[in-house]
Amino acid sequence: MKKVLCTGLLAVSMVLALMGCGGSVPENSVHSIDDLPGKTIGVQLGTTGDIFASDYEAEGSTIERYNKGADAIQALKQGKIDCVMIDEQPAIAFVEKNPDLVILDEEFAVEEYAICVSKENAELTAKINEALAQLKTDGTLDSIISNYIGDETKGKSPYEAPEGVNRSGGTLVMATNAAFEPYEFYESQEIVGIDVDMARAVCDILGMELVIEDMEFDAIINAVTSGKADIGVAGMTITEDRLQSVDFSDPYTTATQVIVVRGE
Amino acid sequence: MQGFKEDFYLNFIKDDRWRYIADGLGTTFSVTFFAAVFGIFLGFLIALVRSTVDKGGSKSVFLKVLDGICKVYLTVIRGTPAMIQLLIMYYIVFSSPNVSKQVVAILTFGLNSAAYVAEIFRSGIMSIDQGQFEAGRSLGFSYAQTMLYIITPQAFKNVLPALANEFITLLKETSICGYIALTDITHGANTIRSQTYEPYLPLLGAALIYLIIVCVLTAGVSRLERRLRTDAR
Repeated sequence: MKKVLCTGLLAVSMVLALMGCGGSVPENSVHSIDDLPGKTIGVQLGTTGDIFASDYEAEGSTIERYNKGADAIQALKQGKIDCVMIDEQPAIAFVEKNPDLVILDEEFAVEEYAICVSKENAELTAKINEALAQLKTDGTLDSIISNYIGDETKGKSPYEAPEGVNRSGGTLVMATNAAFEPYEFYESQEIVGIDVDMARAVCDILGMELVIEDMEFDAIINAVTSGKADIGVAGMTITEDRLQSVDFSDPYTTATQVIVVRGE
Repeated sequence: MQGFKEDFYLNFIKDDRWRYIADGLGTTFSVTFFAAVFGIFLGFLIALVRSTVDKGGSKSVFLKVLDGICKVYLTVIRGTPAMIQLLIMYYIVFSSPNVSKQVVAILTFGLNSAAYVAEIFRSGIMSIDQGQFEAGRSLGFSYAQTMLYIITPQAFKNVLPALANEFITLLKETSICGYIALTDITHGANTIRSQTYEPYLPLLGAALIYLIIVCVLTAGVSRLERRLRTDAR
């Protein structure tokens, strides 16, 4: 028994010793967009940040494509990369939880989020556009967004389905990547966020049942084109490349790309 | 056919996308190769310690403690998924900024492979008849000499198929490198897929490359096996 204890202690101390050899994190070297060439930029694979950052590859930057935005943020904190290019709202959420990080003041690009639908399902796209238009005019969309964004309004206007919705229209499968606060994220084992509430509201108008599938971001468009999911809602920007593969609904909100760096 | 040509152009030729896979190929090769070398080396040492104690050939307390450490190591490594090990190595053990990801991957897969290789080698050593051992010792060979000149060569031949199996698994296991944003073949294919939104060619292409590598590896091992067999006659 003593021996087992000894070896156990030895193993633990070895791991601790290894952990101890973390070097110091280098100081931030990205102060504006002009500093990007030659730097190591972290992005989430397949996001618009990835697309914008990839343009800097020709200027000597290294792009590190992580499966999750949170992984890129982790690597940034540990000094493995110089900055992270990501959408503004998730960046704010990350920086809130990591006080040692800051967002650069410059906005990188303004973009529009929309729902993606298979090209073979133009009928659904039209129905979604109608529903979105209705949500925009009656103010539901604004109240959903302000429930998640804005210090004063946060949590004040949760979306509630109107009573007695007829859900005879079948299910609507939504593909998303629930690691993108405040658009979609986990809260006590449930996926919530602007996109989720918006999709719920759309379903309530269409008389359908919403089913959410959480997957890697770069798998969403494949899921939609192959019919595994009906719609993709994941803070997804309309881009030329994506339009080659899927149709987009009308945009439901705008967002910006920002650069996250280590604080001084 | 026209569609295939267009897809091929879009996924591999346009914007030099094939480079993602080509870069990935280099990473996959070097990670697998160095991890395999590291795994064989460490695995062999562990197997020697374990089988010596198993055979009851040594009363040394030092060896017994070493054997205990090896057992803990085998349990931990074989009891946890390689992906978790990779993430632990990258984000916890080597959280320092200036460690190359390739080195982290090589170490992780090397340490992982060593655990499996150790048990393969041990099974080989234990499979050699005790009589061989006694013969060696009575001819005046020391324990180490018997091990090195008589037991190991025979054991190696016996474990070759299992060893080849382990390296095939290792090669494919490296496909999780993408989790630390290291571009191996799989991550390269995923990157292309994320740009073209076309699942077929990047995934099938990556699968084909793995398949070819494994076929070449298998052919090499079976040639080696044949040569070792003629030696025995």
